[in-house]
Amino acid sequence: MQQVLLNIIISGFLYLLLAQSFSIIFLTTKFFHIAHAAIISFGAYFTFFFFQKCSLSLWVAIPFSILISILLGLLIELVIYKPLRKKKTPSLLILIASLGLYVFLQNLISLFWGDDTKNLRSGDIKIGYNIFEARITSIQISLIFISAILFVLVSVFLKFHKVGKNIRAVSANIELADILGINSENIILWTFGIGSGMAAFVGILVASDTGLTPTMGFNLLLYGTVVMIIGGVGSNWGLIGGAFLLATAQHLTTYYMDSKWIDVVTYTILILFLIWKPLGFSGTRFKKVEI
Amino acid sequence: MDYLFHLLILITIYIILAQSLSLTAGFAGMVSLAQAGFYGIGAYSAAILSLNYHLSFLSILPIAMLFCGIIALIVSTIALRTVEDYFIICTLGIQVIVFSIMNNWTGLTNGPLGIPGIPSLTIFGIAFQNKLQFLLLSICLTIFVFLFLRFFTTSSFGRILKALCEDEIYTQSIGKDVFLSKIISFTITAMFGAIPGVLYAYYISYIDPTIFTVDESIFILSIVIIGGKRNLWGIIIAAAFLILLPEALRFIGLPNNIAANLRQIIYGLILVILIMTGKNGIMDLFQVKMKGNPIKPINSDNFTRNTP
Repeated sequence: MQQVLLNIIISGFLYLLLAQSFSIIFLTTKFFHIAHAAIISFGAYFTFFFFQKCSLSLWVAIPFSILISILLGLLIELVIYKPLRKKKTPSLLILIASLGLYVFLQNLISLFWGDDTKNLRSGDIKIGYNIFEARITSIQISLIFISAILFVLVSVFLKFHKVGKNIRAVSANIELADILGINSENIILWTFGIGSGMAAFVGILVASDTGLTPTMGFNLLLYGTVVMIIGGVGSNWGLIGGAFLLATAQHLTTYYMDSKWIDVVTYTILILFLIWKPLGFSGTRFKKVEI
Repeated sequence: MDYLFHLLILITIYIILAQSLSLTAGFAGMVSLAQAGFYGIGAYSAAILSLNYHLSFLSILPIAMLFCGIIALIVSTIALRTVEDYFIICTLGIQVIVFSIMNNWTGLTNGPLGIPGIPSLTIFGIAFQNKLQFLLLSICLTIFVFLFLRFFTTSSFGRILKALCEDEIYTQSIGKDVFLSKIISFTITAMFGAIPGVLYAYYISYIDPTIFTVDESIFILSIVIIGGKRNLWGIIIAAAFLILLPEALRFIGLPNNIAANLRQIIYGLILVILIMTGKNGIMDLFQVKMKGNPIKPINSDNFTRNTP
């Protein structure tokens, strides 16, 4: 049981980071950026490439791949989404474009690195530490701490920094923000940068814990989306609640039933929330969910 | 020659899948990612009914369609309470749940191992053993679905669907039952999605859950988008194009797995290009005039008017 509790904490923090990376983009642009999943995978695969193939040290490989992922995110925004927004394309169509982009990027990864599962760890597998009769590896400990620190840092940035305030202004009302002299295109670019960087980090963390496949991002992204919808958009406490609710549900499913039913439970929760509480925990009124 | 027939049968299967999806995604504007789920439900009900209950094809087809219809009816009353982007996420969830059940309910579906040994198809004592016969059957079914959809979409009900795609509140205000129309179109989409499932199960005589994944749903949706919204002829061309594409890539000497990846890269790119240029389907992209319902580019006013 202690192990379940520990697993809940680990996944909870991971989902928290994931949901924040996704929702920061959703906040300003208000569509589901599916290609985000490819950025998660790209972050992991670039680290794999630099670390294993170019045999750079991990401390060089990780910042390097995060930087490239950020650039990729910015490129996607500038080349694809910005012109689409300029033309006032409905968000449904942007979502389909994003889906196409995801298919494109994911298969690019398959083409370069193959479809099989890769491993970021080199050599021996370390035996984890024992805490209260539960087992935890050093990677998982660093996962918890890094996720928590990053989450707090980004929240503080959103709350107090000038750019963060502008992000919140744009997310609340983009026209009004423009009138008040905030360059909304710049701010959206900022959110893509921050979101993509965090996504790449999530990818690296997951890859070092369990390994890499080209489709790893899609499942993670969907969990992030579920957390965001459960928690309600734009609310940190909502995200925390959503992340730990999802993690608890998943690990209790594993404990009492079987790990193969995780997806069923996850999406049942999502659908139930979409029906009865489409605004999530926080209840922030957002877009046209009200019908 | 047999290989050509094999490809043609696959094309007809995808034509039925995409055309039935276009009723909701193209005409009514509700993009669904659950079509592969219904495809799978059709295939699994065919496999289970023919192996365990020894029913014939002619009785299995309506049962599978009805079964899909009932599931779609339940699902649509849930999913249709959400709109647009949320509807896509909701149908995506349903797709994952259906796949997960097919993959994990070992007692019923035999799990990841799949169901082998589905008996060959017989109608009135005639066994459909070679590919040509099977092709003729699937072409007949395709024509039936095509004619039905064309009749359906040009009828007054089809006009309601187009209207609610453009402006839901306006359609409601002239006394049309929007919710009911959406449910009907979603259910019909799912029922027709069962037909290619049954065909596929009989044709390959072995099914496993990996055929009916989210990727398959994305693929079917992209046939609809690449074919052009509200363009049934365009979908036929798009399906043929996307099925023959890996063959063409293999023909110029690319290995199998690279051809498969390249196909996905190409259709992903086409999707992005179509949306970027605002063109309706690949024929429109190359300025080829097509028969079918012309569609004006959807301007954003229709979508923003509803929102405060």
